[in-house]
Amino acid sequence: MDFWLSYATLAAIYVLLGLSTNLLVGIAGIFSVSQAAVFGVGAYIVSYLLMNDLTTFLPAMLVAAAFCVVLNVLVTLPALRVSGDYFVVTSFGIQLLATAIFTNWTAGTGGANGLPGIPPADLFGKTLDTSSDLVMLSVAAMVLGCIAFWLIMRAPFGRLLRAIREDELAVAAAGKNVLRAKVSAAALAGAFAGSAGGLYATFLSFIDPSSFDLDASILLLTMVVVGGARTLAGSIIGPFLLLALPQVLSLIDIPTTIAAAARQLIYGVLLIAFMLFRPQGLAGEKL
Amino acid sequence: MLALQLLFNGLATGCALGVVAVTFSLVYSTTKLFHVAHAGVYTLGGYLAWSLSIHGAPFVVAFLVAIVVCAGVGALIQALLYARLEHRHATHLVILIASLGTLAVMQNIIAAVYSPNILQFSLPWASTVVAGGGSIRLTVIQVLIVVASVAAYGGLMWFAHRTILGKQMRAVASNPFLAEITRLRPRRVHVYVMAIASAVVSVPGVLVPVDLGLQPYNGVTPLLTATIAMIAGGVGSITGAFVLAIAIAELQNLSLLIIPGEWSIGITFFIFLVFMLFRPTGLFAAAR
Amino acid sequence: MSEYLTATGLEVSFGGLRALQDCSFTVERGRITCLVGPNGAGKTTIFNVITGFLRPNAGSVSFQGTSLDGLKPQAIVAAGIARTFQNLRLFVDLTALDNVVVALPAQSGEEPLAAIFRPLHVARTQARRREEAIRILEHVGLADRAGEFVRNLSYGEQKLLTVARGLATGAELLLLDEPASGLSASALEQIMLLLRRLQSEGKTLLVVEHNTRVVQQIADEVLFLHQGHLMARGTPEQIISDPTLAEIYFGGAI
Repeated sequence: MDFWLSYATLAAIYVLLGLSTNLLVGIAGIFSVSQAAVFGVGAYIVSYLLMNDLTTFLPAMLVAAAFCVVLNVLVTLPALRVSGDYFVVTSFGIQLLATAIFTNWTAGTGGANGLPGIPPADLFGKTLDTSSDLVMLSVAAMVLGCIAFWLIMRAPFGRLLRAIREDELAVAAAGKNVLRAKVSAAALAGAFAGSAGGLYATFLSFIDPSSFDLDASILLLTMVVVGGARTLAGSIIGPFLLLALPQVLSLIDIPTTIAAAARQLIYGVLLIAFMLFRPQGLAGEKL
Repeated sequence: MLALQLLFNGLATGCALGVVAVTFSLVYSTTKLFHVAHAGVYTLGGYLAWSLSIHGAPFVVAFLVAIVVCAGVGALIQALLYARLEHRHATHLVILIASLGTLAVMQNIIAAVYSPNILQFSLPWASTVVAGGGSIRLTVIQVLIVVASVAAYGGLMWFAHRTILGKQMRAVASNPFLAEITRLRPRRVHVYVMAIASAVVSVPGVLVPVDLGLQPYNGVTPLLTATIAMIAGGVGSITGAFVLAIAIAELQNLSLLIIPGEWSIGITFFIFLVFMLFRPTGLFAAAR
Repeated sequence: MSEYLTATGLEVSFGGLRALQDCSFTVERGRITCLVGPNGAGKTTIFNVITGFLRPNAGSVSFQGTSLDGLKPQAIVAAGIARTFQNLRLFVDLTALDNVVVALPAQSGEEPLAAIFRPLHVARTQARRREEAIRILEHVGLADRAGEFVRNLSYGEQKLLTVARGLATGAELLLLDEPASGLSASALEQIMLLLRRLQSEGKTLLVVEHNTRVVQQIADEVLFLHQGHLMARGTPEQIISDPTLAEIYFGGAI
């Protein structure tokens, strides 16, 4: 039972991340491999605040989300102003730089050994440390995220982003500020990813750089690609399916030394296969 | 004279990086695709050469086989994946994701087959010191890297400006629409370009690991640095990419005098930021 | 004669190709001006310069006395100039209605925060915008196709939609790039009626057009462009009956 609760908690957290990636990649059409970096920043900030008893859980989450919003804006604004391909380089750079910081700034992030002993979340005086507490917290956060996503997609902003994805020149010709819309999407994505990071940290009570590296960003992309772009259903299906994959793999006899490589290999194959044969994913719209 | 040693090392690294930058630039300016899987081809070359070398093949043979196989792999990626997606009018985002998937597949097949740990060539001649005295050492492999890279750069310049295929390639690059309707067969040109770029990138792909060892995931950072060199040098300028790659490598190496090595990526990224904010078209952008 | 839209000394080169050479012209308010000339004369380039998508190497454009130099496309739309594209560039996966709604000027709900924290307000303004968009679609004669996805519209309907999208921005000067090309006879009539109706409502139209019959029927003035330069201007009759111009136009100058 505990296993299922764990899986559900993790999946809910990754749905938030999926919404974030979907906003950026699926809706705004911006290729990003730095989502895991932002996820990590959120996680480390919340951990730092809670471990040093600086705030309680909710304010810590707000700080992390706000920081990640600013981070995403600072990263996307100058790069997108130049071109989409520029942003690809920026995204890779941010991801690699973040991993370098997470791994080497031992004073702040615990370095390669990570940060153990992150206190659990506390809400309105109650400490949430049982499996059922955690799953409820994560699912609640997931539901809030889904509602926000749904509201955004129905609003003019969502329609604007769809139009931009189709033909940003025509959107500019219609008098709209394309850059601002894209940066707004990135800012929102930052809020989702940063919050997910905070939840992740309190759930696992231990984080290390390996959860926030390029491979993790590739996993997030795979979730959106498999689940499907631009839909709520896709953002939910992708994470639930992809997180079940390691469990399925453990049924096959794969030596542990190459287990990680095997997983990443499958993600790569999925990316290629879906782009070739099913760009709309299982429940989404065509990328 | 640590600085001098760093300068020599930077020259070798920079020249190798220069070839990665130039070959990437070749693909990018012709196909307009951000071919991130190039890092995978780069990595593959090294491992292929290692396999053959470890099993007794002469180094030259291993090297040549690696070049040929990489050329084939590059051509296949273009013909089977990119061309197919372009034919369906896939967006650049879709092709980028497919390229990233290809990179992941290549790196992880290598990791699964060869293990994720560092592997070394066993070529005693490579680490023989060629010049230097006291605390400065210049090894055979370093000299070889510089010579081979400069030769590769020269070869590609000659190819781009003097051969028919090279001119066709530049024509396709500057006006794909016109190329399409004047029977220049852009798709075929794309395959040739990918084959050539993949073949040439396996030169540093094989030689650098002889010096520094093999690791499946070591291709991404050089590729990133190479793309930054391409951008800073000006997209479309082969010389710009090569020169800037050396410059970046030297800056990275010299920065070791002040900051620890694991932060080198910060230097590269800082250089990128500077160009992005103040001169996004690069130093020697090709006049179109 | 008040200055409405004035271009002075425009120079545009792409590599070795001079698309516009010392190009100067004026467009008068409230009239339909047709821009004609052989292929490659620079007509679409002029549109790109006026709307801010292309910076000229030299020269300037002014609209109602204010210079448009260096302005971004959004600013130029805000100043009252909108354009259509020869290849339509409609949002294919959106409905006709949504294509128009997107082009309506600044809407709350276009910032994501408003969408999340003031959903009711956003819903109300959305409803108002939809009504406005329906009115615009009625104006061009597409109201009954509002809910259709663009890929299900006929070519003629799509062309009407591009005009609707331009109208949605609230522009008073419309730059139309070949609005009549490729249309059946009845669709042609419909669009010509629309253009004249827009003019009678006070809009100014600058129209690139190849079809001489269309030019004769709707143009108040014709600007003849050749090799990036304004070669002649006059009434449709004057331009069409000029033998030198006819030879340039039909004589194979590409």
